[in-house]
Order: sequence, then C-alpha cells, then structure tokens
Amino acid sequence: MKYARMGAALAAIAMVATACSSSSSPSSAASAAASAAASGGGGGAVVNVKIGIELPMSGGEAPNGVPTANGVALALDQIKVPGFNVTINQQDDAVNGVHNPQQGAKNIQTLANDPTVLFVVGPFNSNVAQAEIPVGNAAGLMQCSPANTYPGLTKTWGGVDPKTLRPTNPDKIAYVRVATTDDLQGAAGADIAYNIAKAKTAYVADDTQTYGKGLADVFATDFAKLGGTVVKRDSIPGSTTDFTSYVTTLKSLNPGYVYYGGVTTSGIGLFRLQMAQQGLQTIPFGGGDGISDGSAATKSSFLQIAGTAGDQNTYSTVAATHDIPNASAFADAYKAKFSTAPGAYSAAGYACAQVFLQALQAVGSGVTDLKTLREDVRAYVADPSHSYDTQLGKFSFDANGDTTQHIISYYGFDATTQDWKFLQQRDFTAKPLF
Amino acid sequence: MTPATAPLGRARLSAGRWNLALGTIAALVAAYVIMDLGAGGEGQAQFINALTIGAIYALIALGYTMVYGIIELINFAHGDVFMVGSFVSWWLLTTIGFSGAITDPLLLGVILAVGFVFSMGVMGVVGMIIERFAYRPLRNAPRLAPLITAIGVSFILQNVIQVGVSNSIVTTPQIIPNTTLNIGPVSIRAINLFIIVLAVVLMAALQLFIGRTRLGRAMRSTAIDRDAAQLMGVDINTTIALTFFIGSGLAGAAGVVQGLYFGVTVFTLGFYAGLFAFTAAVLGGIGNTTGAALGGFVIGFIQVIAAVYGYGVWSEVVVFTALVLVLVFRPTGILGQQLGERA
Repeated sequence: MKYARMGAALAAIAMVATACSSSSSPSSAASAAASAAASGGGGGAVVNVKIGIELPMSGGEAPNGVPTANGVALALDQIKVPGFNVTINQQDDAVNGVHNPQQGAKNIQTLANDPTVLFVVGPFNSNVAQAEIPVGNAAGLMQCSPANTYPGLTKTWGGVDPKTLRPTNPDKIAYVRVATTDDLQGAAGADIAYNIAKAKTAYVADDTQTYGKGLADVFATDFAKLGGTVVKRDSIPGSTTDFTSYVTTLKSLNPGYVYYGGVTTSGIGLFRLQMAQQGLQTIPFGGGDGISDGSAATKSSFLQIAGTAGDQNTYSTVAATHDIPNASAFADAYKAKFSTAPGAYSAAGYACAQVFLQALQAVGSGVTDLKTLREDVRAYVADPSHSYDTQLGKFSFDANGDTTQHIISYYGFDATTQDWKFLQQRDFTAKPLF
Repeated sequence: MTPATAPLGRARLSAGRWNLALGTIAALVAAYVIMDLGAGGEGQAQFINALTIGAIYALIALGYTMVYGIIELINFAHGDVFMVGSFVSWWLLTTIGFSGAITDPLLLGVILAVGFVFSMGVMGVVGMIIERFAYRPLRNAPRLAPLITAIGVSFILQNVIQVGVSNSIVTTPQIIPNTTLNIGPVSIRAINLFIIVLAVVLMAALQLFIGRTRLGRAMRSTAIDRDAAQLMGVDINTTIALTFFIGSGLAGAAGVVQGLYFGVTVFTLGFYAGLFAFTAAVLGGIGNTTGAALGGFVIGFIQVIAAVYGYGVWSEVVVFTALVLVLVFRPTGILGQQLGERA
C-alpha cells in the first residue's frame, strides 16, 4: 500500500517534470511544486494534513455545495505543496436538505477537534457562518467562505460590530471570504432592475433569513436612490409553500420588477412558479446568488422549480468575478474530473483552497507540529499584507477578512441554453453605483 | 344500540344547525370585507386563495379528527401520509407519461378520476397498514406509547421518501389547464374551482357516510364507547381500520391536490401541513368532522388575511394565537367534540 502510493507519487512528479520541460502551459503553482519536489525529493517525512470542507451537500442544497466542494478537490489535485500530503475532511451542514446553522457550528467543532485539519473552506450560507464564526474563532481555525455575502459577518452592519461574533478572541481574525458583500450585490440587483430591465417600480420580498433580508434591504434602499419606487416590502417565512396570496397582492400592485432576497430552498422558485400560474411571468424577476444555482436541468435549482414560463425575464447576480483567468482551461479540467460544467462558486472554492495552499507553503517548511501549523496558517491568512494569485484573479484580504476584489457578475435567463447567461460584470471599486 | 339512540352525536349538531349556518355565512362575509379592504381590488381573488388552501387543510384535518375521535390518538404521522400521497400521485402521473396540461376534457376527467382513486386507495391501505402494525398492538398501552409510535412512523415515512425517492423538491405535473373561468361576476381559475368543489363533495360524502350508513354508525358507536359497541356486536378492529382507511384516503386526495395546485412536492412537506391541519382539527373541536373542516377554512383565511395586510411573516403567530384564544374561551374548540363524546 505504502509502496504503491510512493510509486504513484514518483510517477506524478515525473509527469509534472516532463510537462514542465516540454511546454509552458502548466500553472506556476504546478511548476513550483515540481521544483520543490526536485529539491526536497530525497529528504524528510511527508506531513499528513487536511483541509476541511463545510458546505451544504445534500438535498435541495446540493446544487450549491457540490460544485463548490468539487472546486476545492480540483485544486488539491492540481496543486501540491512539498512536504505535505493534503486530504479532505468533508462535512455537510444540510439537515433534511436545507442548510442548518446548528449543524454548521457542530461541524466546525468536529473539524476543530481533528488536529490534522488546518483550514476550512465554507460555509455557503450567511446564517450558517453566523453560527460558525464564534466556534472557529475560539478554536483558532481559519475559515475561508467561497460564497458568504452578508456584510455583518466581517464589518459593522446595522449598528452591530462583527467583534460580537468573535467573543473569545475579538482581535484574532479566523474568517475570511473571497465573495464580496451584499451592500454591493444589492446595489447590483438595483442596477439590473433600474438600468437593464428599465423598471421604475419594484415589489421587494425576502425569506426572513440573515442573507435574504439583508440583501433585499440593500436592494430597496439603492433602487429608491436610483430613482425607483418600492411599492411593497414583504417578508415571507422560508417554510412557506403557498405564495398565492402574496402573488395576488403583487398582481394588484402591478410593479415593473420583483426582487426576492433569499435562497432557493426558501421557496423562491415556487414564488416565481406561482407568479407564472397567475400569468405574471412578463414581470421581470431578480434575485442574488441565492438563486444562481444552476440550469433548468439541475435538480432543485431555481430555474427548474420556476418552470418554463417562470424562467422568462429572470435575473440573478453572483458576488464574484465571471471573467476568471484561464476560464476555459479551468472549465475543461473541471469537466474532465467531474463530467459537468463548473457551478457559480466552483472557482471560488478553488480560490479558497489556493489561499490555504499558499499559506501552507509559506509557513509550513520544516514545521511538523500540527497545532503550530494551524495557528501559523491562520496568522498568515489574517495578515492583510499578503496577496494571492488565484483562480479568481489577484486579491488580498483586508483587515476585516474581506476580499479586495469588489466585483459582481450579472446574469439573465437564456431560453436557448435553459441556463443563466452572463450579461456583464461590474467592478464596484473602479465604478461605484453612486 | 337501537337506531333511536344512535344519532346521539347528531342531536347536538342539529340543535345548533341554524346557528352554525348563520355563523359561517357571517364569518365568510366578514372575511370577504376584511380582504377587500386590504387587497386593493383583489379581494375576490384573495377570497378564493383562502378557500383553496383552507380546503386542503380541511381534507388533512379530517383524518386527524376521525382518528382522535375513535381511538383518542393524535396521529402525528398523518401529515406525512399526506406527503406520501403527493408522491404517489406524482409517481402515477409521470409513469403514465404526463408532464403538462391536458386540454382534452374527457381525457383529463379520466386521468383525474384514476389519479384520485389510485392515490386515495393506496394511501388508505398505507393508513390501514400503519394502524395494524404500529397502533393496534399498543391499543391498550398507556396513552404516551402510541403517541411516540406515531412520531416514529412520521420519521419512517419521511425517511423512506427521502432516501428511496428524492431528497429534494420534485416537480409534479399540473394536468389541469391554467385557464380562468368567468362565472357571472366571479372570475376563478379552473384549478381553484376544482379543488374547492372536490373538497366540499368529499366532505359531504364523509358526513353522509358517518351519519347515514351502517358502517358509519359502527364508527360513531365505537367512538362513544368502544366496549359497549363491541358487546353490541360491532367489529372494533374492522371499524378502526376503516377509520384509518378513510382518513388516510382523504389525506391522499389532499396530496394529489397539492401536486396539481402547487406543482411541487418535497419529503418535508408533511410537517408544516400536518401541524396546520392538526391545529385546524383542534380549533374546530377535535373528534368533530364538521369542526375539522371549519377549522381548516378558518386557518386558510387567517393566513391569507395576514399576508394581505403585510403581516405574512407573522402568519404562524396569528394562527396559533387564534388557537390559544379559542382553547382558552372554548376548550372543546369552536364546535365542541362530537364524534368522541367521552373526552
């Protein structure tokens, strides 16, 4: 067994080495690994470490968690850090098919209790992050979320200081994210409604959760700032299946746009389906990255549930860049391994893993004590002076743990592919809405 | 038990029959006015929305109330029977090969009839199986034992669907065309009309069955005094099994309606639907079939009125506050307990 693995590793090194000498196509990380392998090949023992994955993987959440986790697995396949053997400890925070904050907190505790786990990718949902950040902070385990967008997780929002989420070590950052925040995503939603769909009035609803309510509030404020009018602001519990009375109300208001802050598992697809049943599919409908969960063929995605009629005139956003470097090479490698196209946050999952691998490479040389390694990785990532060259492009984390990349991608439904189609992306640092 | 004493339960109802009818009409008029004031011209559509969702709750609530009336068990698995019913209907329709609306009225009628008979029959049998293996062995055990068993059955049904069929939302075929009918001043979607009529027909049939047939009499006598009924020659096991068959069959019908109306189903559906239907049964007076139907509609109206006035996020609070108020001032529910006189 051991010999077989060593043989395989040698073969892989040889392959990388030949690839390097024959062409210049492999990424810089791969060549770095190869050169390091050449220099340290004869030497010390390999340290077995793990990267934790804490995402919603089952049920209605599978379209969110699975492609993101695949991104992490792909990164580990393609990038090796000399002296370390990185494997995955995977946890699922979906309970009965829906993301669950308590389960998330429990999972972080489980990961923290595994001494070989040095870093965690996740979670996906902001309310799960609210439950996890205190646990991860107490354990000193660095977490990188590929998809959280609720601003209050990292910065003062609605008068609440994020230090309240870090009661154990208020000044030790143990949570960073590569997605930008909803103060921009909500602005992007308003930008679509006002400038692309040309709507003057909007009906705004949310699913009452941390992410959905925050996003809808920003949309409502920014839509009004652009000159539009919010005709009604509703909050609808995520357990609802009968939206007919809300849709009937909406019908009487006849707004030019409908914006729904929330995630598909809260029934947003059902809302759009019931709009179509009452003949309202001509009213454009928008949401955030909570509904960018795959094509109409993807099981339990927004587009599948909303149905053929409901899919018309829908828009969504993703809190990350669409124009990733080497997009086609990434898509091809992803497709070769998982035989599907990458999801909205696959590249973000990949980037989180790259952050970890870069930190491990920087601090890990010669260190074998797992406790020291965990803290060193945390301190490295928390240090705002470090920058990362990743699948999402170049960025660093600011003192709060937020990415310096402030880009939102806009999508609209495309009937020929039955999928979200990239419209444009907006860099809010270079081109703020106001 | 002679026929003269058998309609004991009905005697109470007939005394208040006019009060009930007038009270219902007054409540409906009040609800309509309240909705029309809040809904900005869509009062009529909201009224129909409330009737429709109320009809679905009522169909589920009947099963709770019948089972409670006859063996004083709160069958917590009943909401999940409804959920399984929606999956049976989904399975049947997709297996026959329908995915969208059927425009041929004759074919639509046949498919609907087949769909309802099949799903109601399957769920009726499932209900009997649950009773035979999970509740009958515990019939003389302390009350708590069958209650816990019912919760266990609820989880079993959920997990069977979750693991065996689908762990996420399933899209069901909506075979009734999405057309709007104009009947005089009333404009109503075909599906809403169908659901309301179907629910009323099923409830009327149930009332006739319980009130006018031999088996119905056996059910009522079992509810009043199981031992005495047995001594009079009523086959208790058959009667209780029949109660489960009918109650679960009605939940199966509600499951078909769920698929036709909303176009989706999911394995967790039974929990909330069951909770609201159970509340409806208690609100109307648990053990009382008329009360369960009334309670279902009351909850439908409360939810829609809350949503109309922009308090949708509070709809659960409003529903359960209404329940608490009714139970404080009228502990036996709106109509009192009829089927089970003992309680």
